[in-house]
Parts: sequence; C-alpha cells; structure tokens
Amino acid sequence: MKGLLTYIPGSTLLHRLDPRTKLFISLLLCVGVFASSNLIYLAAVLLLDLLIGRAGNVFRQTFSIFCKLLRVMLFLFVLQLLFIQRGDTVVPLLFGLRITNVGIKTALLVVMRLLAATLPLCILLMVTKLDDLANSLVVRYHIPYKYAFALTTAIRFVPEFSKEMQEVIEAQTTRGVELDTRNIFRKMALIIPLCVPLLISSVRKIDGTAMAAELRGFNRRSWKNMTSSFRFRARDIITLVLAAGVAVVGIIL
Amino acid sequence: MIAVKSFSFRYAGGSRAALDGIDFTINDGEFVGIIGRSGSGKTTLTHAMSGMIPHYFRGDFYGSVEITPKNGVALDTVETLPDTISQFVGSVLQDTDAQMVTSMVWDELRYGLEGVGLSEDEINSRVTEALEDVGISELADREISSLSGGQRQKVAIAAILALRPQILILDEPTGELDPKSSRKVFELLRRLNEQGITVIVVEQKIMQLCEFCKRLIVLNEGRILLDGETKETLTHGDVLERVGVHVPRIVSLYNRLTEQGAKCGLPPCTLDEAEKMVREALS
Repeated sequence: MKGLLTYIPGSTLLHRLDPRTKLFISLLLCVGVFASSNLIYLAAVLLLDLLIGRAGNVFRQTFSIFCKLLRVMLFLFVLQLLFIQRGDTVVPLLFGLRITNVGIKTALLVVMRLLAATLPLCILLMVTKLDDLANSLVVRYHIPYKYAFALTTAIRFVPEFSKEMQEVIEAQTTRGVELDTRNIFRKMALIIPLCVPLLISSVRKIDGTAMAAELRGFNRRSWKNMTSSFRFRARDIITLVLAAGVAVVGIIL
Repeated sequence: MIAVKSFSFRYAGGSRAALDGIDFTINDGEFVGIIGRSGSGKTTLTHAMSGMIPHYFRGDFYGSVEITPKNGVALDTVETLPDTISQFVGSVLQDTDAQMVTSMVWDELRYGLEGVGLSEDEINSRVTEALEDVGISELADREISSLSGGQRQKVAIAAILALRPQILILDEPTGELDPKSSRKVFELLRRLNEQGITVIVVEQKIMQLCEFCKRLIVLNEGRILLDGETKETLTHGDVLERVGVHVPRIVSLYNRLTEQGAKCGLPPCTLDEAEKMVREALS
C-alpha cells in the first residue's frame, strides 16, 4: 500500500475544496451506498468514485487501490457464495453445497457496497492534507485537538508501520530466518513473533512524536488560539448538495 | 539564562540517578557544547532544560532548574508547564524520525506557530524565513516521508527556528549528516549564536564542538567532570581519555608536544591553528 493512501499534491477542484466538504462528501456517499440495495445504483456510485478519482488527478492511484481491493473482495465473494445456501440452486457443488441465486445477489451486493464505500475515503486521503483536515475540524467544530491529533497520527503511521516491519523482516532475513519460504503457514509462524519488536519500536517512536508535539505547543493548540482560513465557499456548497442528492437517491432506491 | 542548581534526577523505575548533583549556569549568548560517553546523562540534561523533566518524564527530582527569558523573571521548570518554557527554549530532539508531527514539510514548520495566535501572514513569513535560514527552501512542498535522514534533520531544526527561541538546545543535531552538511549545521548555529541566540549542543563529534563552541561541559556517569572554556577543557586530555571521550587528533598531538616540553600555549581547535602550532614547535 506504500504511497497509495498518502497525500498527492495538486491544484484540482478536489484539492481546493474545504477539507470538511470532502469528509462530508465521503460520508454521504457511504450513507447512500449502505442505504441502497440496488445493484445498478451501486455500480453507478462505483463509477462515480472512479470519476472523482479522475477529477482529483489521482486516477492511477484510485484504480490501483480498486484493483487491490477487488482481490480481497473476490475472496469475500466466494465465501459469501459458499455460506449462503438459501434460495434456488444455480450451480450444484460437491458435498451438498450449492451456489444459489440469493447467494449471488447478496455476495455481489456486499462486495460492491464495500468497494463503493471505501474508495471515496481513500480518495479523501489522497487529495486532502491530513493536517488540514484535523485543523479544520478543530477550528470550525471545536473538536479537542487531542482527538484530531490521534486521528492524523494513526493514519500517518500506517506507512511508517509497514516501513518498520520491512526493516524488521530484512534484519531477520540477514540473520538467516527463512522469511522467503513458499509455505504460507511456515511464513506466518515466522512473522508472528516479529510483531513484538515492531510494537516496541513503534511505541517508542510514537512516544518521541508526542514529546516533540509537546515541545512545540501541543497544549496551546485549541480553537481559541488557532487562526485559520477554512470556510465554505460556493464550490463547497454545490458539491455538498450534489453528494447529498446521490445519498438521497440511494435511500429512496 | 539557564541556572541548574544541585540538580539530580532518577527516572521512575531507574536503578541509579541519571544525573547527580549538577550545577552550572548558562548565560545569554553563550555557545555551549555538552559531551560525554553514551549513558552519561547528556540527553537527560537536555530534557531537564526543556522542561520535559519533570512534566513528561517522571522520577525523583532534586535541586532546581530555572529558565530566565530575556527581560523576564526566572521560571522554575517544576512550576512552569513546557508550553510556557517552549516559547523561549527550542529543543531539537535526537530521533529526527520521531519528532515529525505532520506529514508535509511546510505544515511541520507551521505546527508550533499555529497555536500562538499569530496572523496567517506572520506565520507564513516566519516559515519561509526559517526554511531560508537552514537552506532548505526547495523542500517546502515535499512530503516528509520522502526526505533523507539529513534533510529531515534540517527540517527538525527549521521547525524549531520558526518559533524564534531565545535558547536553542540540540541533541546530536548532526547524527545523520555527512561531514559537509554537519559543518553547515554548525555554521548555521554559529550564525544564530551571533544573532544573540544561546546555543547548547549535545554532540559526539568532538572535533566540531571544539571548533565552534566557546564552552565545553563534559559529563561522566551523571556528573559534571569538566566545565570550562573549550581550549582550557581540552588541556585535560588524560582525564577525557580516561572517561572515554576521545579528543581530536590535533589535541592529542598538542598533548604529546607539551609532554615533551614544547610550549604551545592553548590547544588548537582548527587545522590552521594546529599547523601554526607545529611550525612554532619545530622552529
């Protein structure tokens, strides 16, 4: 996932929207997607997600995330097919298992729903600076900075985590641990003990970050002291209304 | 001004005192180097001066540490929160990776300024100035995760400079830099010092400390072993070697020459001075 969920600088409309607008649009799309059980609607939102990615000049990344998610979803799809045994048989399988029409519909629904709901949030992270998002929430909605900081730090640490893990794995490999084994179970057994050093080094790092933040006035940061230029403009209102429209359609269908 | 009086500190859960009976005063405008083997308490001392001890690190605290801002009254670090102290004392931590609190360089520099109530223009001009001071204007729009260790170190320094501290404390600021860049950092520190900022550097690279710092404090096992003018401190070469601080080679050359009876005055701190010393000794 390296480089996929991080901010990509740009000057498109999406980049210029208020961070809060983008957050709300993502949430509205999620609401619409979860409220609707209409496959055509879901497909349309999915297409819309990709178009939004295009509008934000992050289509390549969006598509790459889409493909990665698709792989996970395929797994989910098969599981759903096997677990849902209600309805009429479409394809009979071995051991009395069967693929049913209800199974196919439900599986498709779940998969498309998750895809359509995840993509806007991924795009949000790519076209919005996390700090802007946090600051706008603190300044405009008076959310305590503590929580905003926890949120941004958690997201920021995802790539740091994977980097750290990579380092631990490399260190172990040079010591002769067979982490490149083909046997998936053996690999799991070798990787699980590495979680402890990963955890320790990460906690140590976060501790350092907390101290650095305190040294630069962490506790001074509240909506009372912070000036900022976040405000809703016409473009924010228009896009919000459009997103709300999409959500309403989802609720009706 | 920083006044440390009979200060001892033992981390909660620590078996022995990290610092024991520390006494010194650093006046406004000084350029002080702190040196010592690892585990001698250097980093603990920086935490004590930045107010992180006792507010962030808990433990047994004896004595007092007082920070006096220019034209102000003395602030006791026990009674004053780090938020207040950080308005005068800027502290660059050792681990550059960990001290990044945002994901973009520009935001990283803004971070400390946003909570002070400055206008947007003022914030931006200070950030631009700090970037220029450290010579990394071209990094302004970069993502921090894409920077090299050395670049991050410069960003960390710039982020503190943007706060315009009166006292600057740096814990191994050149740890990840190549010799050329670390020299640049020290030259920057000298420039800042000439502008009136008090600079306190903890460093392993003794050669550079000797060349730039006017005063050297040598720590050993939590105590001050030597504290004095840099050149004067370096004349105690044998004491330094005994506690594991390796003096620069030009200083050991000086020590050997004086042992043999040559009169060389004070030890050299730069190559030029060393050359002069050798010429005089030979003639």
